[in-house]
Amino acid sequence: MLAQQLANGVVLGCVYALCALGFTLVFGAARVVNFAYGELLMIGAFFTLTVMQTLSVPFFVALPVAMSGVALLSVLVFYLTIRPLQRRATTALSGELQIILVTLGLLYVLREAANFLWGTAPRQMDMGIHGIVLIGKVVVTEQRLAVMAITCVLVLALYGLLYRTRVGRALRAIAQNREGAAAIGLNADRITAFVFAVSGALACAAGSLLGCLYAVASDMGASPLLKSFVIVIFGGLGSVPGAIVGGILIGLLENLSGAYLSFAFKDVITFAVLIAVLLLRPAGLFGRAT
Amino acid sequence: MSILERIWSALFTVAMLIAPLLLGDYQAYLLTLTVIWAILALSMAIVLGLAGQINLGQAAFVAIGAYTSSVLRLRYGLDFWLAAPIALVAVIVVAALMGLLTLRLRGPFFILVMLAFAEIVRLLIANWQDVTNGPLGLRDIAPPEPLLGLHFETKIAFYYLSLAVLLSCLIGLSRLKRSNIGRLLIAVREDDVLAEFVGIPIMRNKILGLCIGAFVAGLGGLLLGPFLTILAPSQFTLFASVDMIVMAVVGGIATLAGPLLGAAFLVYVPELLSFSSDYRPAMMGALLILMTLFAPRGLAGLALDLRTALTRREQHDE
Repeated sequence: MLAQQLANGVVLGCVYALCALGFTLVFGAARVVNFAYGELLMIGAFFTLTVMQTLSVPFFVALPVAMSGVALLSVLVFYLTIRPLQRRATTALSGELQIILVTLGLLYVLREAANFLWGTAPRQMDMGIHGIVLIGKVVVTEQRLAVMAITCVLVLALYGLLYRTRVGRALRAIAQNREGAAAIGLNADRITAFVFAVSGALACAAGSLLGCLYAVASDMGASPLLKSFVIVIFGGLGSVPGAIVGGILIGLLENLSGAYLSFAFKDVITFAVLIAVLLLRPAGLFGRAT
Repeated sequence: MSILERIWSALFTVAMLIAPLLLGDYQAYLLTLTVIWAILALSMAIVLGLAGQINLGQAAFVAIGAYTSSVLRLRYGLDFWLAAPIALVAVIVVAALMGLLTLRLRGPFFILVMLAFAEIVRLLIANWQDVTNGPLGLRDIAPPEPLLGLHFETKIAFYYLSLAVLLSCLIGLSRLKRSNIGRLLIAVREDDVLAEFVGIPIMRNKILGLCIGAFVAGLGGLLLGPFLTILAPSQFTLFASVDMIVMAVVGGIATLAGPLLGAAFLVYVPELLSFSSDYRPAMMGALLILMTLFAPRGLAGLALDLRTALTRREQHDE
């Protein structure tokens, strides 16, 4: 029983980690709290589904196509709404508030656009992997193993991008010190746009995996958005390892408290733990003090 | 307050007082809706304007006000006028506690914690079946009982009650803005480090700002139960807080008239265009984006700009 709950928690945690990664990247590099992130996730799932249906290709072919589509959308969002505000802002605070307002607006607009394009009825998405694996007494579906594998591949790719490429180094420089990076000639706007692209691609992957595990629906974005908030605060806003560890911790916490304490109150417990973490360690488990 | 402003306020009050006498039942309903939304938008504008913070937990204060008073009335048979102050005390106590918890947090951290707090409140309401009737919600919430010979059973009477609450809030806030406390709050909003440096107790002021906003939100919550006659946890999601933000931002937060304009705009424009309610969220979102990008001071700000432009042209002509 305990082993089964732990296994379920880890699988759920992997998807959560993937959700939180794109969110935390954008905060780390651009100081943007993106409330429309959950909707990018949802649109990503619909993109994947649409590509699968119109071109009748399997999930694993459709996913990269959809990921580049959402990356493009995310960059568009940055150039049209967030960059003008960042340029205009007189103080960091007013800029931050206005960006949050705009992303809240985008949340509504993107959701309604999805309702308009794809309707409100939930749809099924099939990854094409079926079957069950028994590890000791623990039952895991092969689909869930595939979800974990995809997460691992994407996390490794992200680490490669951040630590093995020039653009990754520039990105980390921007995250560490925006003014300093600008002073040595880095183009902050282009790198931020790149971060939005990566964030959109990750959102699409996370959304598509959630769509396979549960269902694809226009209201599927709200829950991962809230979970991403909790995870990045847990792990530290802007921290990549924090998002991964935080995601898995939250997945475990949810499954264990749901199984052993109270299923109805599992989200309450998660949020309460979150507030406790913030009070004891405001910067999060892996966060830098600001 | 300048003479012009006094005249406008008096005109507005008179118009709001006689309006329902000229209108039918449905129009009175819309007007009451506008007034209640205006109270809620005002509560958000206080937090945005005086504390400089986005409070995505504001809906939770509305929910606490609405649910506490309605549960006390329905389950314990209390009078509205006895339940209301108890509910308001509950709102302020919770707000003060949240203030104590969050006072060290800034920017995104404050927003996220208040969001988490609002979710906790909503989930507690949805799951505390014995008291709140869970997701099905409370039904048949009666109009307030008569007080001092005044009756509130009719729609028009309830409208006047809501209007009285709104006007008291407006008067109270315009006094607050010009008082020492208001100036202290603005100083803390502008630069809390500097404010602390010159000896302003910022912790106390931050908590106070949150409590004043919560108090007004709670007042709106008190009216919400009898107005809608039903309460359900689904009314108090993140999106309820966002609706309040949209009204405050569309109207503009710099003036007290802003949230009123915003509430009126968002109640009447869909009504006049005979919008299907399906388009409402899309309109809210588009408005929030466009206003933030192109008119960050809201409709009230646009009106002020227009006035300055006109007076300038007159001077030019002379």
